[in-house]
Amino acid sequence: MDGLASTLGFIAGFFPPDLSPAYLLALAGPVLETLGMTFGAMLLASVLSLPVGLYLGLGGPGAGVVRAVLSGVRAIPDLTLAILCVIFFGIGPGAGLTAIAVFYTAAMSKNFGDLFATAPPGPVAALRATGARPVAVALYALVPLKSRDLLTYASYEVECALRASVIIGAVGGGGLGAELVGTLNAFDFQRSTTLILVLIVLVAAIDQITLRLRARPVWLLALVPPSALALWLYLPAAPGLGFALQTVGGMFPPQLDAGDWAALPALIWETVRIAVLGTALGAALALPMGLASTRGLSPAILAVPVRRLLEALRAVPEVVFGLILVATAGVGPTAGILALGLHSGGCLGRLFAESFENVRPGPVQAVAATGARPLTVAAYATAPLALGPLAVHTLFRLEWNLRQATVVGMIGAGGIGQALFQAQQLFFYQKMMAYLLITWVLVLLVDRASAWTRRRAGWMELAPEEMAAG
Amino acid sequence: MTRHDRYQFTRRGFLGTAIAAGSVAAAGPLMAADTPLRIGMVPDAGATQVSVEAKAPLQAYLEKALGRPVKLIVPTNYNATVEGLGNGSLDVAYLGGLTYVKAHKRYGAVPLVQRKTDREFHSLFITRAGSGITKLADLKGKSFAFGDVNSTSGHLMPFHAMKAAGIDPETDIKARFTGSHPATIKAVEAGVVAAGACDETVFHQMVKDGKVDPAKVTVFYTTEPFVDYVWVARKGLDDATRTAIVKAFTALTPETDSKVLDILRGTEFVKADDKEYDLLRDTAKQAKLF
Repeated sequence: MDGLASTLGFIAGFFPPDLSPAYLLALAGPVLETLGMTFGAMLLASVLSLPVGLYLGLGGPGAGVVRAVLSGVRAIPDLTLAILCVIFFGIGPGAGLTAIAVFYTAAMSKNFGDLFATAPPGPVAALRATGARPVAVALYALVPLKSRDLLTYASYEVECALRASVIIGAVGGGGLGAELVGTLNAFDFQRSTTLILVLIVLVAAIDQITLRLRARPVWLLALVPPSALALWLYLPAAPGLGFALQTVGGMFPPQLDAGDWAALPALIWETVRIAVLGTALGAALALPMGLASTRGLSPAILAVPVRRLLEALRAVPEVVFGLILVATAGVGPTAGILALGLHSGGCLGRLFAESFENVRPGPVQAVAATGARPLTVAAYATAPLALGPLAVHTLFRLEWNLRQATVVGMIGAGGIGQALFQAQQLFFYQKMMAYLLITWVLVLLVDRASAWTRRRAGWMELAPEEMAAG
Repeated sequence: MTRHDRYQFTRRGFLGTAIAAGSVAAAGPLMAADTPLRIGMVPDAGATQVSVEAKAPLQAYLEKALGRPVKLIVPTNYNATVEGLGNGSLDVAYLGGLTYVKAHKRYGAVPLVQRKTDREFHSLFITRAGSGITKLADLKGKSFAFGDVNSTSGHLMPFHAMKAAGIDPETDIKARFTGSHPATIKAVEAGVVAAGACDETVFHQMVKDGKVDPAKVTVFYTTEPFVDYVWVARKGLDDATRTAIVKAFTALTPETDSKVLDILRGTEFVKADDKEYDLLRDTAKQAKLF
């Protein structure tokens, strides 16, 4: 293909970004919509998941079943949930809000449950011994003991949800995502760049705000009134539920014809390939960038710009990279691999740097004392010492990327995601449901396999943002 | 969409449709005059909700003709537009031929009006000048861009034309969906794909606006005529509004409404009829798209 030249030409088309005051002003609407649906959904999700999390934490009857249901909901890719919500409730932030609320209620309930389960047993047992009922134990022991952890974790989730809201907008959920897809379809690439910059700034701002808030978590409560307002504005109308149930009914029984079954193994293989190669690319990018941004190893003149670059890569979700690459480099797994690789590079780079910073100082100092140069210190002390954590982070990323591979598939990168999206677009909903169920089982299996491996190897601890992302 | 509009819509939702429907019946035209008419636009002409300002003359014209506020909603894909007619978030929508027959079957969408040219519409097969592609048979083994998977002129009819010419679009070419006509045209111009198929009115408009160079991108095949775009109403939309919409469009003349007609890329509107789409339905079934 005369691809490279044209791809470069396309990339040039993204610059300079359209920073005209008129356009930036016009973007206030989509930005408010994106923030509104994120915060509205997160308020709803927090309120719903607190009691469920407490129930799980106290180990109420049937907690295992609840946990299984939550894992099941979490394994549905967020983009698929968004597509369903658009079908049920119509185009706009109402659909996006509902999709985010459902996904994060499941995710937060489960993780709240895990947090409560790790509450120090002393105070809980003491309260129980007084004959207090479970509700009292929850309110007077679990919540106060864990309030700080809850708020910390919830603030990480808000960041994730903001990125998710952009993805969801891309399929009709309103806000910045819808605008981004529109500009790409119109080949208005300079405006696409503007939108990506807006996204990076938004994520960085939320990051800074939540960082401050984590120091004084009570201030998180200040977010409640605006979130409640957004929820009130965007929550879909109740009559939509009847239509939703009827439409879901039309998706059963799931059905694939003989040709679809024959093509299925190749589709699954393509999705797995996108995930594995995307993770490999991410790790390959993260290793040098992680080293270059490690405090105490790399000079500030190098570390600071690399850290900013990693932040930018993290701020842009896989799907957004995917949308751009699909529009420019064309449809296919290469676009998917690059999309996953770039975002994973940003995430892993930061985690790798933290792993390097946390290695035992002794051996590093010993090598440095020989007069070795920084690169030698990195190669013979820092990197080998950090190998374990690096492997854990990469494994976790692989698990995450398998889910994302189905999502980037939906926007044209191929594999089972693309088959699912095509069936949905053409209104072949029984076929779509079949692909959805297959994807769902696939993700559940990988989740299980990954959890099992981690347990076997004794790698249980995840960084809070990994916990939030998962 | 403004927050105010949404607020109204949501409030109506909370009150429940029964109450809303009751009050519409009781208050009659008074209530109808207050609620905006929600119109879903075509996604594959490459517009966004922010750039919808470019369609302000159309909105103003319809508001005046219908005597009530009009809200233009730009979806990101056709599926969302059709489902909008089903879930009641859209009152009127602009659909392609293929999406119309789907919306008619699924949700009883009612055809209202269309451009005279929509009765005899064509898809264009385009390639880069000097590519050596001069006929459909030359496409074998080449990369090719369709528009939206649900597009009549960007997918269904070109698919049909290729089949008729002995090319199997599923095995003989490397096909991709760009999602929109402008994207297809740009992809061909940039050489990302060897050839593509698109809507004739979008191509001519882009040439006219200087957005594509006709010396660089050439048409090498034009399909047989077929019936395409149509404005439709959701099943439950009242007769008076339907009639008013038909009247508003058929009254457009190039002398007085050139700005509106430019947006619609047409010159004259006629009443639409479901029967016109029978042939298209057959074609869609053969292509397994319906």
